[in-house]
Amino acid sequence: MPALTFTLNGAPATVEADPTRPLLDVLRGELGLTGTKQGCDYEGECGACTVLLDGRPIRACLMPVGKVTGRIVQTVEGLAGPDGLHPLQQAFIDAGAIQCGYCTPGMLMAAKGLLDRTATPSRAEIIDALEGNLCRCTGYQKIVAAVELGAVRMRGVSQAEKTGAPSGSPVMGGTHIRADSTDKATGACRYVEDLKIEGMAYGGVVRSPLPHARVIAINAHTAKQIAGVVAVLTAQDIRGENGLGAYSEEEPVLTAVGATVRMVGAPVALVVAQTPEALDRGLEAVRVEYEALPAVFEVADALRAGPPPIAGRDNVLAEYEVKHGDLEAEWGRSAAFVETEYKTTYLEHGALEREAVLGYYDEEGRLTVMGGTHQPYFQQAYIAASLALPKEQIRVIVPPTGGSFGGKQDPWPFIASALMTQAAGRPVLLAYTRHESFLASPKRHPYAVRSTVGATRDGRLTGVRVRIDANTGAYDSGGKYIPNYAVTASGGPYRWQAVDAYGRTVYTNGPKAGQFRGFGTAQSCFAAECTLDELAQQLHLDPLELRRVNCLRNDETSFLGYPIAESLGFADVLDVLQGPYEAMCADAAAFAGDGRNLARGVGIAGMWYRFGKAGPLAVEAHAELGLEGHFTIYCTAADYGQGTNTAMIQMAAEALGLPASSIQLINADTRTAPDSGIQGASRATFFVGGAVAQAASVLRTEILDAAAELLDMPPQLLSLQADKVLLPHGEGVSLAEIAAEFERIGKSRRVRGLFDLTPHFPVEGRPQYAPLFVTGAHVAEVEVNLRTGDVQVLRIVAAHDVGRVINRVDAEGQIEGAIMMGLGAALMEEVLPGHTTGFANYYLPTVKSMPRMEVILVETPSRFGPFGAKGLGEAAMLPATPAIINAVSRAIGARLRTIPATPERVLAALQGRPTA
Amino acid sequence: MTAYLFPQTLDEAVGMLVAHAGQARIISGGTDIMPDIRKARIVSTCFIDITRIPELTSITVEGGWATIGAATPFVALREHPYFAGHVHALVDAAASVGATAIQSAATWAGNLVQAMPAADGAIIAVALDAQVEVMDAAGAHWALVGSLYEGPGHSRIDPTHQLIARIRFPIPSGVWGTAWRRAGRRPSLVLPTLNCAVTITLTGGVVDTARIAMGPVGPRPVRAMAAEAFLTGRAPDASTLARAAEIALCDADPRSNALRGSREYRLAVLPVLVEAALTDAVGRATAGLA
Repeated sequence: MPALTFTLNGAPATVEADPTRPLLDVLRGELGLTGTKQGCDYEGECGACTVLLDGRPIRACLMPVGKVTGRIVQTVEGLAGPDGLHPLQQAFIDAGAIQCGYCTPGMLMAAKGLLDRTATPSRAEIIDALEGNLCRCTGYQKIVAAVELGAVRMRGVSQAEKTGAPSGSPVMGGTHIRADSTDKATGACRYVEDLKIEGMAYGGVVRSPLPHARVIAINAHTAKQIAGVVAVLTAQDIRGENGLGAYSEEEPVLTAVGATVRMVGAPVALVVAQTPEALDRGLEAVRVEYEALPAVFEVADALRAGPPPIAGRDNVLAEYEVKHGDLEAEWGRSAAFVETEYKTTYLEHGALEREAVLGYYDEEGRLTVMGGTHQPYFQQAYIAASLALPKEQIRVIVPPTGGSFGGKQDPWPFIASALMTQAAGRPVLLAYTRHESFLASPKRHPYAVRSTVGATRDGRLTGVRVRIDANTGAYDSGGKYIPNYAVTASGGPYRWQAVDAYGRTVYTNGPKAGQFRGFGTAQSCFAAECTLDELAQQLHLDPLELRRVNCLRNDETSFLGYPIAESLGFADVLDVLQGPYEAMCADAAAFAGDGRNLARGVGIAGMWYRFGKAGPLAVEAHAELGLEGHFTIYCTAADYGQGTNTAMIQMAAEALGLPASSIQLINADTRTAPDSGIQGASRATFFVGGAVAQAASVLRTEILDAAAELLDMPPQLLSLQADKVLLPHGEGVSLAEIAAEFERIGKSRRVRGLFDLTPHFPVEGRPQYAPLFVTGAHVAEVEVNLRTGDVQVLRIVAAHDVGRVINRVDAEGQIEGAIMMGLGAALMEEVLPGHTTGFANYYLPTVKSMPRMEVILVETPSRFGPFGAKGLGEAAMLPATPAIINAVSRAIGARLRTIPATPERVLAALQGRPTA
Repeated sequence: MTAYLFPQTLDEAVGMLVAHAGQARIISGGTDIMPDIRKARIVSTCFIDITRIPELTSITVEGGWATIGAATPFVALREHPYFAGHVHALVDAAASVGATAIQSAATWAGNLVQAMPAADGAIIAVALDAQVEVMDAAGAHWALVGSLYEGPGHSRIDPTHQLIARIRFPIPSGVWGTAWRRAGRRPSLVLPTLNCAVTITLTGGVVDTARIAMGPVGPRPVRAMAAEAFLTGRAPDASTLARAAEIALCDADPRSNALRGSREYRLAVLPVLVEAALTDAVGRATAGLA
């Protein structure tokens, strides 16, 4: 190997490498600089590997390392100096521009490339410099703001502005700097693929090339003979359950000989090898013989008699209905009706970090699997079942994770990783390629929603009939919950007099669908809110007014036939949107008539979202007083980028009455942290936060009681400080002394906090899911090119009832990111099985796709949640899509009923033509 | 073991190609061929990197020609003051290639050798009537960009024996303007649903020459010959430009693509893009005249 020499972050670097290898691999490999990320299979499509070459941003994945000899390379690791963080890094942290952090190094370097040449860039120049660097969390707005802030600070502004960290913010409700954003800004944060473990082998998957086929034979013999191949596993090597437990009925870990694969990408065998190259050879050498079966991809085809059944009863996985009131009578008194059919498509989560799971044996010899997920304890149970081991012999740890959005709930990579680690007897990394992630990870369920709704002349909703067909693809993977979620979300926060709603999930040979932010609800909310807009139009009623007239109030009977337990802030949400809505309508109206090419429109959509549904009503967390007098919180609220690490510490700090800096967090490790239930359905802040606050509160009381004993004073005269308990006149006792006292008297320094809603929802008469709902609404203004069908979203104002703001910048970030996903779903994102291969042709919104976003946080305190907080993360996903589609429909004067509303579909709707 | 060479002169680069007798391959920005190297679709024992040949990284505008060294990255085209002021279509086309971080490495010449029918660099090159200087053991010759296409993704230039040294296009002496239009499923990092570039020269208020290049509406960059002929000699008023844009359809034969758009959509939108580009180009040509 020739020695290649270049300047790396200001120092000479020499490396022996094939000159055609990507600079990215050499940086991350030989040079150990793992801050630069790989997200798109080295296609240059994501920007996570952006570094500077002679001051210019380049894609390190497309740069042969031979080309950089003698030149200057700068990576994220070189940004911070001896005096601390680079102003840009600090600006990203302060502006809340960092969520999962996976895009952050690339964003920072792209921004630095600009600011080093242009000290006072315009907003357009900033956007141009960041364009093409994908972010899936933030919606880009805070990243652009961070670059603007960084530019100001780099120009050397006053010291006061430099230390812009909002250190004076209160623990709750203000803008709170995330616990982990510094590491994410410096590249020090280690995601799974950044870890180096001695003796690590590489795992890979043999997948079905056919959508529906019987496995006739699997020959692994040749593969096992290949040098470097450590193990090949097929179904017969699985000692325990060959399945994904309750997560997905009848979905095998590996399809056995004689059984059927039901989708392209279905796993058939696992290969472990010493090197990635040997792995590729091993995967190619596994011979699988298939008997192809007829495949169906559409729900209608799957329900038709004829083709071989896929699964379930006549290919139906699950059904659900809500029925109350006298629909015929209600329709009889209705003055207006609309009948609609709305359709959605397969969507990909597109987290910038691909599925990456590392299996190894921990220091106690326990089989450990480390990977981003929502529910480490569930994964532990699934793994234990498949390996036929007691749960205690399995450990699952959630490391820093580059986004999930529901996608990383899939237990499959965890089980496969454990199987491979056990078989190989050494650490094994299973990292999907992006292409593999598109093939095999769960997608959002495509829906067809047929609705008939009626209303009186003054806009009062009467009766609704809804029929929802959801395509769950090849496997269950949670599709069994879909009918309930879909039907529920189709109601919205409105008063209905009669309801007849039915939904079902149907198997096809398309990709398996599964959990995705706003699971099961975003699609039917889209259909319902667009249908309401059609109704308003027919009634010549303002669509905001229609929603106000029908707004569900506290304790009224809901769409479900019973009242909602939570406080409802929807009326306030609509109120705060009135002003922006009118301003946007005025702008769009004033614009109308400006030529034949462009038109503007405004759309509104509301939503309700039942949070917390996915898990138990009682969860626990622990708080501990350490021997040195420090505090540690133990809980399971996996942080895959949404900021739970910070929120948990904030809530503990609030309950203890101490600054957040005095609290450490042990989160989402089955060996050290308690099971706080699944993190799905926006549970973390509400349920786990409740348990954390409770634990902290219990610990505070016990500390004060112990101090009272030691000091012989009544506890109410004492105050808890970061390091001691203080008496009014200044004397006190250190927390270390109190910890020693706990030890002396045999009292546990670790206490349990329980957040338990079961008394509020007694088993008798309780619906299947506790009726805990949040509400919100978005208003969108769009500009449509009437001749090409191109849509530019100009502005979105989003109002959400969050109960109580925990961290303002993070709440805004959740909503802005959800708007970006909603915009993608509305206009551009679509997985086309057989066509979509990766980020090159799955169109995630880029920074130029995004509108100006304004977030209004409405605080109608929760009746149950910690400090009045409610769940938020997913709810924000729902209204953006229908608000945008309603705006487009209004702009063009024709209804769009299929998403994504591609330019082609928009043009067809304009011209009154049908499209696929 | 792959060799990676940095010739310092053009002669040295050609000498290396000759010495390796077809076993070596030219590399410039590398952005297009790195994925191919990775997937072993391109296998070579030796890469000859031409980006450190000083004469290949310069841009000159003189003697009626703009001449661009083959190793010039797109970003240099975007930032060149003459192009920014006079050849807007080239600047906009360069800005359409991937994203900023790709434009810092990718080169116009490399884009041409890839020979994709709708490559932004190819469409603009055809509209500018650009030529490339091809060098090999036999010497150097200039060839029109439009003549380089063997078929989709297949250039007549063989990078194991030949290289592009320079690209040049004529600077019209009179009144002229250029414009670029592109349609895609999102603002960047996306293959074009359609793209088009236009060069218009005017004499005495009528169109002297019009060059309209379009993609992907055929197996290679396509010129709207019928529309060009229609425009020649006419005053470029709005209705004439709209009519020319419709006539551009005569030379377009697009295919349906599930990911980027149907043939019908492309046929519906192509005249919109062509009309907009013609309007911009005429506007730029006449901007200084009033």
